[in-house]
Amino acid sequence: MAVQLLNVTKILQKLTINSKCRIAPALIKNVNENVIHKEVILTNSTRNTNFFNKLPAHDLWKGITSVSNAGKKRGRGKNVSKKNIKDLNRGQVIGVGKANIVWPGLSAPIIRGKELVTQHQLPEDPERQKKLIELRDKMGTFKYAKLSPIERGWSGTKMPGRSIGPPDPIGEDTFDGFDTKVLELKTVFNMKGNFGRKRRLSVIVVTGNSNGMAGFAMGKGLEPKTALRKAKNRSAQKLMHIKIYKNHTVFHDFFTQFGQTKIYVSQKPEGYGLVCHRAIKTMCEVIGIKNLYAKVEGSTNVNHIIKAFFLGLTRQKTHEEIAEEKGLHLVEICKENDFFPTVIASPKEVKKAEDISKDEIIDYHQYCFNGKVVYKKKRHPPFYTKYKSYELYLRKQEKLRNQSDVKKSLIAEYGEIRSFLADKYPECVQYRRPKREEPEPEVEDE
Amino acid sequence: MTLLRHISQKLLINNIKTDTRYKINNTCVACVRLLNYTPKEYDTKTDPAPLFFNKEVQSLLKSLTRVEVAKVFKKRKLGEKRLGDPEFKFMTQEQLDVKLKKAQQKAEELLQIPPVLAVHAQKNKVYSQDPALQGLESSRFVFTDITFGVKDLDRLIVVRELDGTLKDAEWELRNRVNHVYFPRSGRSLKPPRVFEDGYLEDLLNRREYEFVLDLACSQFEPNEKDYQRVTSIVFQHLSDNDGFDLLRSTRHFGGLVFFLVWNKSIDNLLLDLIESSHVDEANKLMELYGKIHKLNYEFDGKLKAVRQFIEKDSTKRGALELAVQAYEELQKQKEQLESGIKAAHGIL
Repeated sequence: MAVQLLNVTKILQKLTINSKCRIAPALIKNVNENVIHKEVILTNSTRNTNFFNKLPAHDLWKGITSVSNAGKKRGRGKNVSKKNIKDLNRGQVIGVGKANIVWPGLSAPIIRGKELVTQHQLPEDPERQKKLIELRDKMGTFKYAKLSPIERGWSGTKMPGRSIGPPDPIGEDTFDGFDTKVLELKTVFNMKGNFGRKRRLSVIVVTGNSNGMAGFAMGKGLEPKTALRKAKNRSAQKLMHIKIYKNHTVFHDFFTQFGQTKIYVSQKPEGYGLVCHRAIKTMCEVIGIKNLYAKVEGSTNVNHIIKAFFLGLTRQKTHEEIAEEKGLHLVEICKENDFFPTVIASPKEVKKAEDISKDEIIDYHQYCFNGKVVYKKKRHPPFYTKYKSYELYLRKQEKLRNQSDVKKSLIAEYGEIRSFLADKYPECVQYRRPKREEPEPEVEDE
Repeated sequence: MTLLRHISQKLLINNIKTDTRYKINNTCVACVRLLNYTPKEYDTKTDPAPLFFNKEVQSLLKSLTRVEVAKVFKKRKLGEKRLGDPEFKFMTQEQLDVKLKKAQQKAEELLQIPPVLAVHAQKNKVYSQDPALQGLESSRFVFTDITFGVKDLDRLIVVRELDGTLKDAEWELRNRVNHVYFPRSGRSLKPPRVFEDGYLEDLLNRREYEFVLDLACSQFEPNEKDYQRVTSIVFQHLSDNDGFDLLRSTRHFGGLVFFLVWNKSIDNLLLDLIESSHVDEANKLMELYGKIHKLNYEFDGKLKAVRQFIEKDSTKRGALELAVQAYEELQKQKEQLESGIKAAHGIL
């Protein structure tokens, strides 16, 4: 029975039409084993379904260019971004291919004039492939436009410190000469029972005409653009006048505090620059203050720094007010004037020496800081000054202490650095590296 | 002017004539003269010193300086990288007055006019002659008496020449040796090249008169030829380019006025004074002119003396006459206006 069944199957195998199924016939197997062995190796089973033809293209692309929510939580696919997707179909049109064949009805009209267009091949276009590759290379390599050093903010491509232009005009009123700078840009969240966690951007900007008029405001929005616009336009609504002394610095030293942020601000002469916290520097640029020193003590929260600084600026007194308040002349003495006492402001009635009470603050600095004293750390000499090697270094350097002055005077006198022996021995001159000779441009004969 | 300069340059180039007369001492640089001004030194034949130190002349020169304390103590560059922090102080009236009085004294000190002297004569005293020493050395020997407390001017500095004569050192050498042993701040061993014509011309064109004069004061002695060369060129340039305001309230204005009066070229200054309607100063200038050149002008508080000057001694007659006319018309208009105002108020 069993033998019969086996024979049936063998016959059936013989009769199979499928040419790929090359299973060795049972009969031959019995006759020649070597042949059978070879045939078995040659046979190759193929599976026609696989990962690539089971899934549609958009699913495949999704797999590479996105991460599931669960995957994201586990930190997968950090470099995956929609910007990296390459659309390989771009630039490809049905009917147009490598072999430049004209297909009437697909890539060409069927009838041209009175003639029927026939399918024919045109010479190959060598540029086509190059263009396609170029197009693909452009995709997926997005780069931010490089900022010029002037446009750059405090750090990298981040917004804080960057300028975003004048506020939008209101009706016919334009903000000419104004400029707005970002001081803070951060994401903030709001949690609600029904909406869940909501993400927004919070922006603080300061706007001003760099001539004593400025304002600051916060704006929030889902997009950076909207948040920035809101903050900018709100700040234009909150402008205030700020007194600037001689168009370059603050009127006097002052102390100002908001929360735990304390700022000591000092008036400085021209050419000093802005030596302070970056937020204060940015504000000064917008307000129009060019020289100032400020020391922030306590918290350096930007929000608080802004408020403290603006409070201090708006509370400034003019020199006339100060003189009137003290009842004394306010006199400026500086060494560039050869210590000439320049009277800056005088009160209507000057107090006499007898009228000044003993506990009255007479020192101008103490008066400005409201009796507070800036803590100045003692500066210790650097560690290396105790080393023996530093002593040796100083000793070796001593002979060079005048060198730069001597060089300068030699250049002033002779136009070059030269030895005192140069008159006697003309070769005693400073070595100058000879200029590298540029290869002469080849002249073609005509 | 430019044409003249061009021609003079051409001439210089053609003749290869270099002006070695005004070489800076110690440096053997033969400078080709490019400036249009010839230096005018005070020579020893007519010594200006007695006239200059005359008390009346001094007071006239001082009053012509027109001192403004704020200008005397104007901000100066001290050569430091950064300006110093100004110091503010509260002061009572008494404290301020004391300070101002001190400043006034200081200003008077600062405004002392550099002395006007004749160029010093060369010292040629021969102490000894030893022909036996001839050819012994290949360079001259300088002997200096560096006793403490002797003035630079009186110090004994002698030179043993190659031929064996022992004689007084020439002035350039004296200056150098004095600086070597007793250096003064602000003075360098060799005079800075600023005083050479090419550089000096540039500075003058930038109207840095005060800078050049200050530097000359610190570098040279007032009776040196180089000092007088530099100052005379500066004064001439300044007078031609109407830079009087740049020197007012400085110590150099007195020297400038004296120089102009001495060389009879006060026309530009007089024009400046009349145009800015400083009649009293114009009269003082005429007084000074009369004193120095022994001329008599009649003063009436107005422009009588100036008119006399214009008629007799002026070289810029047309311009001065016009200025005087313009001034008088202006005065007339002012008087009319005043009387009109008074009439309107009913004060007449």
